[in-house]
Amino acid sequence: MALTVALDIGGTFTDLVVWDSEAGRFSHGKSATTPQRLTDGIVQCLLKAAPSLDKVEDFVHGSTIAINTVLERTGASTALLVTKGMRDIYAIGRQNRPDAYDVFFRRPRPLVPRRLTFEVDERMSATGSVIEPLDDASLERVTSAVAAAGVEAVAVCLLNSYANPAHEIRVAAVVREALQGVFVTASSEILREYREYERTSTTVLNAYVGPRVSTYLDDLERLLDERGFGGRLFLMQSNGGAMTPRIARTVPVAMMESGPVGGIAAAAEVGKSLGLSNLIAFDMGGTTAKASLVTGFQPSVSDGYYIGGYANGQPLTLPVVDVVEVGTGGGSIAKIDDVGALCVGPTSAGSDPGPICYGWGGTRPTVTDANLVLGRLSPDRFLGGEMPLDVDAAAAGIEKEIASHLSISTVDAAHGIVDIAMSSMALAVRAVSIERGYDPREFALVAFGGAGPLHACAIARELHIPTVVIPLFPAHFSAVGMLASNLRHDDVRTVYRELEQVAWHEVLAIVDEMLDAGRRRLRGEGAAEAAVHLEIGLDLRYLGQEFTLTTPVERPPLAAGEVSSIRAAFTELHHRRYGHSAPTEAIELVNVRVTSSACRERPPLRAAEGSGAQVRGCRHVAFERARAVVEVPIIERDELRVGDEVKGPAIVEEYASTTVLWRGDALRRSETGELLVAVGGE
Amino acid sequence: MTEDPVVLGVDPITRGVIRNVLPAIADEMSYVLQRSSYNMMIYEVRDYCCALVDPDGALLCQNVGGVSHFVADLGVVVKDAVFRYGTDGFAPGDGFITNHQAVAGQHLNNVVTYTPVFVDGRLVCFALVRAHWIDVGGMSTGFGAGASVADPWFEGLQLNQVRLYESGLVDDKVLGIIRDNIRFPESSLGDMRAQFAACRLAEERVTELVHRYGFESFTRTVRELFDHSEARCRRVVEAIPDGEYFAEAFLDNDFVELDRPLEIKVRVVVRGSDLTIDLTGCSSERKGAVNSRTLAGAYIAYKSLTTPEEPVNEGSFRALTVEIQEGNFMMARYPAPMAAWSVALPTVVDTILTALAPALPETIPAAHSGTLGGAVIFVGRQPETGARFVTQSIEGSGWGGRPWEDGESSSVSVCQGDVRNAPIETMELKWPILVRRRALRCDSGGPGRYRGGLGLITEVTNLVEGTWKLSMPSRDKCPPWGLWGGEAGTASSHAFRASEHAPLIEVASGQIPAAPGSTAVIRTPGGGGWGSPRQRPAESVLADVVEGYVSLESARDHYGVVIDELTLTVDEDATEALRKEKVGSDG
Repeated sequence: MALTVALDIGGTFTDLVVWDSEAGRFSHGKSATTPQRLTDGIVQCLLKAAPSLDKVEDFVHGSTIAINTVLERTGASTALLVTKGMRDIYAIGRQNRPDAYDVFFRRPRPLVPRRLTFEVDERMSATGSVIEPLDDASLERVTSAVAAAGVEAVAVCLLNSYANPAHEIRVAAVVREALQGVFVTASSEILREYREYERTSTTVLNAYVGPRVSTYLDDLERLLDERGFGGRLFLMQSNGGAMTPRIARTVPVAMMESGPVGGIAAAAEVGKSLGLSNLIAFDMGGTTAKASLVTGFQPSVSDGYYIGGYANGQPLTLPVVDVVEVGTGGGSIAKIDDVGALCVGPTSAGSDPGPICYGWGGTRPTVTDANLVLGRLSPDRFLGGEMPLDVDAAAAGIEKEIASHLSISTVDAAHGIVDIAMSSMALAVRAVSIERGYDPREFALVAFGGAGPLHACAIARELHIPTVVIPLFPAHFSAVGMLASNLRHDDVRTVYRELEQVAWHEVLAIVDEMLDAGRRRLRGEGAAEAAVHLEIGLDLRYLGQEFTLTTPVERPPLAAGEVSSIRAAFTELHHRRYGHSAPTEAIELVNVRVTSSACRERPPLRAAEGSGAQVRGCRHVAFERARAVVEVPIIERDELRVGDEVKGPAIVEEYASTTVLWRGDALRRSETGELLVAVGGE
Repeated sequence: MTEDPVVLGVDPITRGVIRNVLPAIADEMSYVLQRSSYNMMIYEVRDYCCALVDPDGALLCQNVGGVSHFVADLGVVVKDAVFRYGTDGFAPGDGFITNHQAVAGQHLNNVVTYTPVFVDGRLVCFALVRAHWIDVGGMSTGFGAGASVADPWFEGLQLNQVRLYESGLVDDKVLGIIRDNIRFPESSLGDMRAQFAACRLAEERVTELVHRYGFESFTRTVRELFDHSEARCRRVVEAIPDGEYFAEAFLDNDFVELDRPLEIKVRVVVRGSDLTIDLTGCSSERKGAVNSRTLAGAYIAYKSLTTPEEPVNEGSFRALTVEIQEGNFMMARYPAPMAAWSVALPTVVDTILTALAPALPETIPAAHSGTLGGAVIFVGRQPETGARFVTQSIEGSGWGGRPWEDGESSSVSVCQGDVRNAPIETMELKWPILVRRRALRCDSGGPGRYRGGLGLITEVTNLVEGTWKLSMPSRDKCPPWGLWGGEAGTASSHAFRASEHAPLIEVASGQIPAAPGSTAVIRTPGGGGWGSPRQRPAESVLADVVEGYVSLESARDHYGVVIDELTLTVDEDATEALRKEKVGSDG
């Protein structure tokens, strides 16, 4: 009997999912996240849902440890070693002010102070030739200074080290030798891509979170050991894949978005089992809604992001699942602003005080309150009826805070709140699809998070998305996704040349080296040769452009230097993304990328059939403004059988989520248990 | 669901939705343009703007991010187009191009493209993109022709509201003329393609929006959004004490008449919720190309005072009156030279804000650097191909101390938003140069209770023969000023070393022919200090010394804080004595 466990630490809850592949059964536990000591929450969760771990083969974990360390600025005291003349590169950054009219803007706050930044005498050129050799005396001097400063971590990022890391490697080796027990990272060990500020920031982040993440992993391994765990432990990475603790200890920064990506990876897996290659994953929780794109069964991954936001966050240039997030969730507060306009979010009532209807002291109406007033949420079946919701209080709050100011009815005000929230969420879904050049009519929307299924069909209708999928366990889907995650590693190398002038045998040598490294790494993590999957991408642009598009290529055309097919693929991609292209213009190669991944053996996600759909009750639901409320049937999801069809308007309820079907929608249960909704046209 | 859902007046919900969607359209235009553009002035400097403007010239929405001095200034282009061609003079698929200074009033590199947006046969609005082309012919290339060109013909190709596309078909003759009269046509015509792609995309988005809500309801909602924006601004101005406020500053010269300052004198009048910015005291049209036709100085100051976080639309400036006369250097008459049209604008914004300091002592910061950046411009030829190249980067500078904290260091000016420097690794990859140093400039921040932010020192060696173009406006005589006893930041300067072992010589703005191995040094200004430096806590001064932002000498001479060089500790007694003495001598 084999168990797989996934443990997801979120902002509010720690979620645990256990899959028993022999019994074909899931179990689930939830406990409050304990931000002070995350492992306490883990222990509580294990006690609830998986007291013994001796039968567990794989344990997959997503944690907020890395991101918390950065946001709370509780990381290691870190020194930074740079090339002579470059001491301030990290503090200077890119000097931009995205909030253009704000004269009180704040720059990103460096994680290393200037006094802990040291210059080493050396210089590489952009082509990787030595301009000034590494000066041993200066290295010695700097090493003693770092030792005297008593730091816990050291980041080394020398100029042009992406082109030739020799100096950087030697600096790191000398510092490691001299400073035993100090966490040392060289930029070339995690990122060989040009742009010194972003690379420095990424390297510093790795060093800064390194000691705390290592301690955390030690604690985690110990507490799993104590519970008899003898299987394999994996950590979730920002790129949606998993890695072993050994790699996580060298590249802890890859765990930055460890938690949220689980659901997106899972959406891709659901797509595979349903044969849907193109999906939009839509995750709506209490404070935000997130959208991301899956094409060809693959989550779309971007080359980096800014921790804490673009305007003044820390850049992190490692692959991360491409997510567009808007500040609209179930807990988002609706208000009338100072000139009388109705606004929703981004302030959230969170779990404290929470929406008015929870009765925990909230007084400001939220999206959840509006859904309750419209009848879309049930007052007495929330969390399987464990938590009654107060409709009257929600209605009174909306009347007092919104409706009375606008001289409209309470129900119209509730419609307004939901419609405005919807338009903002639809913008997020548009942003990952239409704005990236994809037509939503060719996609299915996979909706999860506690509030996702509630709004999914309405959003799909708005954007002409024909199909909605409600996966199994939508409210703890992120953890479910971790069960299904693959091993994955991304590697990048800057190779800068005009396409026509590329020496393809040189590029091929680099690519082969990267492919080998990927294979080796996966083998080291226990992946079977047959499960390994390797992908090559070229970052290309028209000569003179700055931003590149990663264009997938196969090895044979690369080996043969088939420029024409590479050009054609890039031209098509450019046209799709930006609406124009220039098929005859010169193209530049900037980076080579290799993604290596391996499927873990994992459970097929499947739920047992119910005894057949039955109408469990009826309630009045308001679907559209200026229209009468409609009495609609309520169906229990667990009771659905394969082949059952539910026609909208209707409500399908389950333990922690509610799916709303509109007139014209038709829902059926798939073989494996997902709900598939054919969205009715207008 | 086919009927128009809103028949009468105020519908707060439709308004809420359209309010979200309109700025998103402008942002999406911006995304397409920036990601697919060909020159760093667009993709890094973000020297562009995207907007929707209705046929009356009212601004529906504009992207926020890049260069702020484009705020709400595309209306004049549309008004002029409608005046020339008539409201029925446009057809679906048309596309226009213009950079003419009589209307747009900026340097010719700022090329505007626009298309009429028709929904069901009705002209709803225009989609416009202004973007900085890397070259428009003329005497010079890169950031623009420089301040010494005498008129627009020297500056380059002038395009006067030209219909380039008719019913979706491009006019090849016009395109040929453009191609033959600019350097780097691949780059600029690539940018032009991106500009029109952004306009066409906006057409699709507006069509969706109008189809959903109906034309009447759309236009009515837009008017209400304007009213809301205006009301928000009025609320802020209402809280400012009524009165008449003054301030003045100047640039040392206009780059041509070197001994004649470019005067910036402003008067700000607050009456209830109305605010007037009077610029009529500013210098008149000049021989140097610092002229323009723009209200940007006043608009940026007003926007940052009132609703910096709100999207921009026509209502954002309705409660503002700008007084400026024809013939003012910021309302210059064609063909006054405008090649360096924006250099004075950051100083204009600062002067307006400073005028209000007595009214808003807890809000207004000390002056920032007042410069659009230390431009790193070197022109040469690639050694392998012989192709011309221009290096380009903009180096940030210091901002003024704020009434509650130090100013930020190394940031772009108030006229620039999401504008980024060029990474050193990018520069060295593309061009035969070596960046020796890019560093914070010690002691450049104006001393104060809250210190001004630091400027930068950038040292670049050219590896091939070519020409350095050093071009910061001169504010030596009027460096970034302090407030309430805070001292001025250090002004900008340039230096040059003709070879590795030659002496470093201070040089003025201008062109310097350079042999391989020469080095240019570009130093950007620091911001002014806020409040007396003697009131800065000694431990903050010590922290600045430890970090290397302030020297031991400056700590003593400006802040009155005595720090032991070896132990890096404050000598409390000596500090107390010195600070008393300073206060005495100040008194």
